[in-house]
Amino acid sequence: MSETDTIVEVRDLDITFQMNRGQSRVVRDVDLDVARNETLGIIGESGSGKSMLASSFLNAVVEPGVSTGEVTYHPEDGDPIPVLELSESELDRFRWEHVAMVFQGAMSSFNPVTKIRTHFRETLQDHNCDIPAGMDRARELLESVYLDPDRILASHPHELSGGMKQRALIALSLVLEPDVLVLDEPTAALDLLMQRSIVTLLRELQEEYDLTLVFITHDLPLLTKIADRLAVMYAFNVVEIGTTGDLLYNASHPYTRALLDTTPDLNVPVDEMSIIEGSKPDPVDRIPGCSYNPRCPMADDHCRSEEPPMMEVRDTQESACFYYDEAADAVPISAAPDKNPPAGRTTAIDGGDN
Amino acid sequence: MRTDYFVKRVGQAVLTFFATVTLTFVLYRMMPGGPAEALQNVILQQQMGSGNTIDPARVERLVAQYTNLQSDAPLYEQYIQYMSSVFLEQDLGESLYEDASVTSLLAERIPWSMLISVYAMVIGYTVSIVLGAVMAFKEKSRFDSISSIVVIGLNSTPYYVVGILFIFFFGIRNEFFPTGGRVGLGVEEGFNAAFMQSIAYHAALPVLSMSVLGLGTALTMRGNSVRVLGEDYLRVAKLRGLRNSRIATQYVGRNAILPMYTQFMIGIAGVLSSSVIVEEIFSYPGVGLLVYDAIQVRNYPVLMGSLIVFTLVTIVAILIADLTYGFIDPRISSGGTDE
Repeated sequence: MSETDTIVEVRDLDITFQMNRGQSRVVRDVDLDVARNETLGIIGESGSGKSMLASSFLNAVVEPGVSTGEVTYHPEDGDPIPVLELSESELDRFRWEHVAMVFQGAMSSFNPVTKIRTHFRETLQDHNCDIPAGMDRARELLESVYLDPDRILASHPHELSGGMKQRALIALSLVLEPDVLVLDEPTAALDLLMQRSIVTLLRELQEEYDLTLVFITHDLPLLTKIADRLAVMYAFNVVEIGTTGDLLYNASHPYTRALLDTTPDLNVPVDEMSIIEGSKPDPVDRIPGCSYNPRCPMADDHCRSEEPPMMEVRDTQESACFYYDEAADAVPISAAPDKNPPAGRTTAIDGGDN
Repeated sequence: MRTDYFVKRVGQAVLTFFATVTLTFVLYRMMPGGPAEALQNVILQQQMGSGNTIDPARVERLVAQYTNLQSDAPLYEQYIQYMSSVFLEQDLGESLYEDASVTSLLAERIPWSMLISVYAMVIGYTVSIVLGAVMAFKEKSRFDSISSIVVIGLNSTPYYVVGILFIFFFGIRNEFFPTGGRVGLGVEEGFNAAFMQSIAYHAALPVLSMSVLGLGTALTMRGNSVRVLGEDYLRVAKLRGLRNSRIATQYVGRNAILPMYTQFMIGIAGVLSSSVIVEEIFSYPGVGLLVYDAIQVRNYPVLMGSLIVFTLVTIVAILIADLTYGFIDPRISSGGTDE
């Protein structure tokens, strides 16, 4: 990825929650650049901090979470906007006009007592937009997500199916013409076919409306179909980032490699699927050194005492591992998710327990 | 589907109404010293007092005239007679003690009871909705915990105790408000400021003590609002940069109040029935006091008449709630048949 145009710049981002047993740091020292018009996939296991990271793009971390650090939004023209320093009223304007977010649970993202039309109208109204023009755009958007505008606008949320709601929500998120769309598990509650069609749809929308997409999921195969670049999160930080190709074929962090290896494959019996041994770290009691060291087969004293910084693997890829160049040998991957599995393959695990 | 639902609900309401009236009618007749007997005794006493000879046939005729029924006829005949005069002639009979029809007595009293009931409900529920919403927005704050304690305390205090305390503190200790009556003596009746003021002045204490009945709603409202505040659609609304006023009313308010709508309508019945005791405490001459006095002297036609009115109001309120719920909550409108 060329060092062209950054649209969202995250620096030293920390998100903390005060809890009875201490401070919980659910995002730790994250640096991340999102390039204009790219699709960045953020992947990680549950509780790795990916939703929190995404919420901070809109300064929308749920209370009582506190975000510190810098999130800077660079509009196409105009001054950069320091998102974390905006006042409430500035935030109200910033949200949805520059960065919009579609998050998990689209099923319940609409006010159950008002029509879809009201949702579009009130959004336009509260952002002081021209309503007739905005409603025309809403119709256009609904059409481009393959919905019948007249029917959808006149419906109440409960009259729509899950997939329809999700598509209507995507249309709603684009009605103020934002440049960045953050999608937090947008396909979580949908069936497989609907998931794939949403992904196709997003790609079409991205081209049509010049969008930058930030797509968060733990569904790696899905992500590889849409993302230009992938960021892997482990234990509240980004451990590896690179183009989708870099990460699929040349993953240089042992966690990324282990994650790729766990990707379920229909051809493999359930009890032969590989897992990552151990459990994820606690956000309150931080272990010294690399956060992955208790589960890492390569971990040595260096890893246990010092935290690895992001190291450049190649132009487009960075990995937070001291031994990134050895990871490929230490953690073999049986199958890359994007490669077509050879017919008749019976096992996904090389060596190990079989 | 809508028509089916409508017909079904109205049918149910009519059926409930008949059942209630029938049941009460039968129960009254089963009581020792039923209405006809009570009236017979009254007439006998009057006749004896005036020294006239007692003509049983004449007594019978008088009883029949007052209560719309022949006291020696079998129960079902009495029932048919009473029901036909109530429903066909809208005649509820005559009061045993006043020279007035039950209908005219009720017609004179009902507006006064309505006045205090409606104000009590409006004040009680408005205060609780606002209070509940504020408590929810400030969840876990000191204001929230103190208000919760106060509301629970007030809610557990019977409204008649509150009424008596009000009379003591605001009527007797400090003479801020009158302790009884519904309008001052010598105030000219009609549409003038002094009359209106006097009405408000007299209604203040009964209204306030009855509004305590609605206060429990504050806790329901608080609970509902807290639930709505945690909903995904609220988070999305904030992310969409909607105005806070819109979020508070259209999102939190509307979704939190909705489940309470039926409760309000049923609350009308509660307020009406509690008026019996409140009006007695404040000697406020409304339907409640009429009922109370009728019980004291076994004025059965008045009792039956007021009961019919209470039943009617309650059933109509619930019917309206049922039929209109679909308009305020779109999720219900099409689902009427599977209930």
